[in-house]
Amino acid sequence: MPFAPFFRYSRYLTGGIFAEACGVALAGILLALAANRVSPRGLSLTRDYFPSLAADPGSAPAVGQSSVNPVTARLRERGFQVITGDELLALFRDPRHVREQVVIVDARGDEHYQRGHIPGAFQFDHYRAADFLPVVLPVCRTAEKIAVYCTGGDCEDSEHAVALLVQAGIPRERLWISPGGMAEWSARRNPIETGPRLSGIIQPAAP
Amino acid sequence: MTSSVPGSRCRWLDRREIVVVLRVLLGGWFVYMGLEKALHPVDFLKVVHQYEVVRSVPWVNLVAVVLPGLEVFCGVLLVAGVAVRGAALVLLLLLSAFTALVVQRALALHAGGGLTFCAIRFDCGCGGGEVGICRKLTENAILMWVALYILRMHAVRRNDQDHEEK
Repeated sequence: MPFAPFFRYSRYLTGGIFAEACGVALAGILLALAANRVSPRGLSLTRDYFPSLAADPGSAPAVGQSSVNPVTARLRERGFQVITGDELLALFRDPRHVREQVVIVDARGDEHYQRGHIPGAFQFDHYRAADFLPVVLPVCRTAEKIAVYCTGGDCEDSEHAVALLVQAGIPRERLWISPGGMAEWSARRNPIETGPRLSGIIQPAAP
Repeated sequence: MTSSVPGSRCRWLDRREIVVVLRVLLGGWFVYMGLEKALHPVDFLKVVHQYEVVRSVPWVNLVAVVLPGLEVFCGVLLVAGVAVRGAALVLLLLLSAFTALVVQRALALHAGGGLTFCAIRFDCGCGGGEVGICRKLTENAILMWVALYILRMHAVRRNDQDHEEK
């Protein structure tokens, strides 16, 4: 019988092992919660880190999107306004960008942002919203148009960032998402700024 | 001291030194992998969310907070040789659940992608970033075998001690 060795030793698996495992699990859970509480990187247990846009009663359902790429279709289906790579470049070159009437927001984490972002883009890592909202929110309140991007493709950080900005009172009509994100921006060899915002370290656009 | 298990075919596997080495290796592995997740909680939270097993607040956050800490704690217990049976059983149960979820996700990607099964790569949230599915399943099978082996050896030893005391 192939399971004979298992049954032969199964009697050893009783006798307090399960009680010990329950004790270990309970102690581990309590320690994990305590460590999360004191850690500066700790997560809030009650916060919704993945907010989505509430359904807009005024918006018509997206139709005729068979030729649209899947990411764009997904964003439109979820109620977001979408801009193409060309439109994002036009916004970047728009003189209103310098006056912060047009704002570009990078929704990625520190590591990615420091490695390279659209020059002048504000960082808004929505997972650490409290750290960024004091800077980003006043700028967004006065801006006429706000373009938000993350890595591009399957990345959903820009969606959650936009949803959070809408919750914070920014009209959704002013908010746009770039589905191609940083991947498309880099692939087009557009200028990239490294380090903090306005660091001056800019890799120029390819001729 | 050498402990032997009745009916065991590989007697060298029953040596206490082998058990200690495997226990420290398994414990060290889980301390490393648990710390990888605990030090990047947002990345792990995103992966937990992607599995779509728990998505509602506070459960998704709770899983992302508790799992890395539990792994580190069990790993430390194994390395220190404290409550080894309990820690090994908890890790065995965690590994079984993780493996089932990883297989489920890989099958979903396989059905939607057109890739061969072993060509599928994704960040399973196991620590260490993106990995090939076949490598991950092999890795998990080895870890589960080691956990089961440690559990069995310590259960046998405890059973023998209980008999001697009687």
